[in-house]
Formats: sequence, C-alpha cells, structure tokens
Amino acid sequence: MRKTRLSDRLLQISTILSTLVSIIGLGLIFQFVFARGLSLLSIDLFTSNYYGHNYIAELKPYEETTYTMPDFDDEDVYVIERYGLALRQGTDLAGNGVVEVEYVHPDSPFNTMFSAEVGVDTVDMDANNIIDRISYVDHPTSLSRRGAQVMASELNDPERVINQVFFADLGGGIRGSLITTLWLIFMTLLMALPMGVLTAVYFNEFAPVNILTKTMRTFIETLTGVPSIIYGLLGISVFVPLTVTLTPAVNTNLIAGSMTLAVIILPIIIRTTEESLRVVPQDHRAASLALGANKTQTTFKVVLPQATQGILTSTFLAIGRIIGESAALIFVLGAIVRDRVSIFEQSTSLAVHIWSMMTDEPANIALSSTIALLILAVVLILNVSIKLSVYLFEKRGKQ
Amino acid sequence: MSSKKSNKTSLSQTDTIVTNALLVLALIASSFIIMIAVFITAQGILPLISNNRGLGSVNLWHFLTDTVWLRGDYFVSTVYGAGFLIVNTLYIALLTVLLSFPVGVLTALFIARIAPRPIAAAMRTIIELLASVPSIVFGLVGVGLFLPLIYNLARSLGFNSAGGYSVLGTVFVLALMSIPTITAVAEVSIRQVDESLAQAALALGATPTQTNFKIVLLAAKSGIFSGAILAVGRSLGEATAVALVSGTARSGPSFGLFQTTATITSTLLQGLKETVGIDYDIRFTLGILLMIVILLTNAALNFVKRKVGNQDA
Repeated sequence: MRKTRLSDRLLQISTILSTLVSIIGLGLIFQFVFARGLSLLSIDLFTSNYYGHNYIAELKPYEETTYTMPDFDDEDVYVIERYGLALRQGTDLAGNGVVEVEYVHPDSPFNTMFSAEVGVDTVDMDANNIIDRISYVDHPTSLSRRGAQVMASELNDPERVINQVFFADLGGGIRGSLITTLWLIFMTLLMALPMGVLTAVYFNEFAPVNILTKTMRTFIETLTGVPSIIYGLLGISVFVPLTVTLTPAVNTNLIAGSMTLAVIILPIIIRTTEESLRVVPQDHRAASLALGANKTQTTFKVVLPQATQGILTSTFLAIGRIIGESAALIFVLGAIVRDRVSIFEQSTSLAVHIWSMMTDEPANIALSSTIALLILAVVLILNVSIKLSVYLFEKRGKQ
Repeated sequence: MSSKKSNKTSLSQTDTIVTNALLVLALIASSFIIMIAVFITAQGILPLISNNRGLGSVNLWHFLTDTVWLRGDYFVSTVYGAGFLIVNTLYIALLTVLLSFPVGVLTALFIARIAPRPIAAAMRTIIELLASVPSIVFGLVGVGLFLPLIYNLARSLGFNSAGGYSVLGTVFVLALMSIPTITAVAEVSIRQVDESLAQAALALGATPTQTNFKIVLLAAKSGIFSGAILAVGRSLGEATAVALVSGTARSGPSFGLFQTTATITSTLLQGLKETVGIDYDIRFTLGILLMIVILLTNAALNFVKRKVGNQDA
C-alpha cells in the first residue's frame, strides 16, 4: 500500500513537472521575442527601407524666423530655433557617436529641401536621420564628429549661410518585406482559394464514389505531410522555369513563390471547406432540388453560402501558413532583402527576412525578434479571428 | 410546357458541364503530389546517371554511405556523401521524440484529466496557438536563447562547442516545436477515452493516478502514437530552424551532444548559390533521399503502431 502511494506521488509529480516544462519552454519563446524585439517596434520600422541611403540637399529659399520649439527635457538634445531643428548626440549600432535629428518643425526649411542628386527633386529630413556634415558659404563645414553641440551652435550662428546638407537614413526598416508578404498573401489566395473551394465542392457534392475519387483524395491528403523544403524544390524545378518563360522574370520571383505557396495551402483549404460543406443539412439540398433547382444551382446558391464560415477559417489558416513559411520561399523567392518590390523579381517575406538576417555575420537578433514579434502577433490575431468567427456563426445559426 | 422541358434539359446539361469542370480542377489539385515526385526524382537522379558535364557521375553507393559531404572542390568533384546525414537526421529525430514525447503526453494528460476546467481550456488554446508558431521563430529563439546557454554549459563541463551550434541545440529546438503537436493530438485522444473505463477502474479501488496512467493512457495509446508519428515527420522535414542551430557540419556523423551537426534538410538549404551545375543538382538528390527517409520512417512507425495496438486490443 505504501509503495503504491509513493509511485502515485512520483507519477503525479512527473505529470506536473512535464506540464511546467512545456509551459515554461514555450513561454520562453514569447518572453524572448518580446524582450528582444519590443524596443525596435515603431511606425518607422514599417515605413522605412532596409538599406540606408545618403542624401545631399540644399535649402529652398526661406524667410528668417524663430521657431517655437517643443521643450526637450534631455541634456543630449540641442535646439536650433533659427531652423526649427533639434539635434541629438547619439550612438549608432556600432557604438560610434553620431548626430541624430531629434525633431524637425513642420515649417522648417529642412523639412523639404532641393536634392543635389541627379533624378531626384526634393528630399525630406525626418527624425532619426543622421547628419553627416553641413557646409556653409565662406565658412568652415560643420562635421558630425565634433558632436551635436558644436553643430547646433554653428547652425545657430546668424553669420553662416547653409550651402549643402549631407545626411543619411540608417535603414533597418521592413517596408519591402512587408509589401512582399502582402503580395504573397494576395496572389496565393487568388490562386488557391477558388481552386481549393471548388475542389472541395466537387468532392463533397459532385464526386461519384469510385476508385478515382478515392485516389484523388489520398493524393491531396499526402500533400499535407510533405515538408516545405520539398515544396521549395518543386518551386525551383517547375514554377520558376514556368514564370521565367511566361513573364519578364529572369530568376526566382514573387509569382513563382505565390504558386508554390498556393500548392502548400491547397490541402488546408480543401479540407477545411469540405468539413464545413459536410455539416450542411441534407434537407436543404433536398428542399432546393424539390423546388426545381438543379444540382449546380443547389450547390452554389444553397449549399456553398452555408460554408462561408469554413472558407473564412481556411483563409485565416492559409494566411498564417503563408506568413510563417520560410524554407520553400528561400528557394523560390530568394533570400535577398529588397526595398523596391517587383512581382517579377526576388525579394523576401517577413519570415525569410529573419532568415537572411540570422544567416548574416553578425546575426541581427534584435530586428529579427521584432519581425518575429510581428509574425506572432498576426498569428495570434488570426487564431482569435477563427475562434471568433466560429462563435459568431454558431450564435447566428442558433437564432 | 415544351419551353419548360427544354429549359430543364439545358439545366441538367449545366450540371454535366459543371461536374466535368470541377473534376478537372480536382484532378489538377491532386496532380501536384505526382508533380513533386516526378520532377524532383527526374532532376535528382541526373547527378547519379549523367556524367555531369564531364565530371563523371555520382556513385550511388558512395553517396549513401560516405561520411564526408564533399571530397574535393565544389563544382569540380562529384564525390558526394550523405550517409552521415541520414544517420544524423534519424539520430536527432530519435533524441527529439525521446525528449518531447513524455513531456507532451504528460502535459496532455494534465490538461485532459487533472487540470480544473478553466485552466484546461486556457492551456488548450495556448497549445493550439503554439502549434501554429512558424518554425523560423523557433530557430530564432534557438540561436538567441539556447545556443549561448549550451555554449556556457559545454564550457563549464569542460567540452568544446562551436558557439553552441550542436546536436543538443537542434534537439531542444525540435523538441520545443514537437511538444504542441504531440500534446494537441494526445489530449484529443485522451478525452475520447470512454469515461466508464476510468469509472470502472476507480470503482475497483485504483487511485486516480493509477487510473490515469494504467487505464486512460493505455486506452488512448493509438491516438497518442499518431501524434508522435506526426511530430517525428515534422522533425525529419524541418529545415530553417535546424539550419540555424545545427552548425552545418560538413562531415559526420555527430553523436556527441555538443558536436556540430547537419541533417539532410539543413544541407539542402545551405549553399544554394548557383542555379546550374553539380552542386545545384545534388540538392534534388538530397530531396529524394529526404522523401525516402520520411516515407520509410513513417511506414516503420505505423507498423510498430499496428503491432503495439493489436497486442492489447
């Protein structure tokens, strides 16, 4: 009796321990991604380019005024009322001192300047840009290495007239990858959703019970177990050559990536849609047929509308899969981050963007975690949306 | 009257047309798996049978047994070996399932039978959510969190580890990825166990713990095993996360926990720089190898599942 109790206790403890290990292990993932990624999360991240860019600009004609500036309670910030500009003494990712733009007044002449580059008319200076140097007419140039304080005092000197401003944005944004991901979602769903839904309709409403139907079902189910890297091989051996022949693309590209993803999500869409078609009551079909509608009308006007929730669920699941997919896309889309996205060229989705940065030397874990945070947030929202849609449809069904 | 009749025939014609059109779509949808098999096999078999633009063909026996990925220079030598990759892949999958299976199943048992209802519901949602976390995120956490830990652990134990890139790191990441899958499937099959079985055991004087372990888990055995098979399949085919933490060894096999390693998938993913030539074509041969390894492992596990299931049924 005593021995049994002891073994009971041990088993109980091991159960609780295992649960704790799962919870802690998996909690670590979220904790890590939040801790490392949250600091870089900002609107600028979504709107700015990944690669930095240098600008040379000249001021447009302007009237001398004194701008009222907000109060910066920070000893590293230096205000230039004459131009409506505030500079900060900061450090870059490598730890070197740089002069950052802290604030640009909306009416400041720095806000819109003539570009001194070929092919570009105007450039904007935004907060977080880095000022390299400012040259003056008949005065020595202000250099960033002498610090923000010196540069600010020289800018405040009414004797000096600005000739040219040399500044840069640091990059590190994910705008390109974000656009690529949106393109991928759009094009993949465009291809896979009609095909998957109609295939599900065929299997559930039209298909005869025979060997062909059974074989087709088995083949589609087998797709679910294929690792994504194998889909990548399918992509480079079939879809990339296909798109290179039919479109202006010359290499791996976004269209081929979408085609590959379409094959990946096809079984998900077929299965989920079919499940929701299956629960449509047989009476509805019989009633529609009895009223004189034919099979096609019954299917598309009576049965399919009742599967809306299933199709919605499958769409959400598919979007989650598209956003998270990495291995296949590394082959079919490439792993080179692009700021300008074309559907005929290589670029990276958010997940592949992480891969590119993690395989770089040194790995950029901070920005990777920020992107991972974004991906996790989207996956979370999709999951909640699925639960919510199921709940709402059930509620409506009961009324 | 006659107009109505003709209308009806045209409608049933519509049905025929629609049925056939949908059949074509279904045929296309089901042809992709054949496409995968045919195209990858066709391209993957080339290095073995062609003379690779004058370099000579890859020796199949050597490819399946050698312990060095490539002897000689890239795009010059054809002496490829993937034998150690097969061993590594299976070894890592085995360690992964050894680690994740008990944890996953016991977590499922906790959720299904021990936890109070609100906690169980919350945990079920969390597990569901975690099953949909993309593998690249697991890879990232592996690099940022596990590798430094493993590096320090190895150092304190007096071993050398290449920055933490190791068998252990790979197994940790894969185990973490497998736990939600195993737990989700096991939890469903534990809940499906007939409650009267458990009641009978309790009535006969078994403690709740004895009932859970000796009756419920045994009754749910088949479903639990299916979850494990799913998880093993996922570990075998996982590429990006493994490539980030394995250290991409060029020779092996690596059995030591702190050694760098490489699997079929991680090698497949590495160095796909050119789009022609032997070093590109050989990836497809690896692709065939990966599919065969997965198919054989699945077949073997399903065989075991049937054997184990029959004995107690």
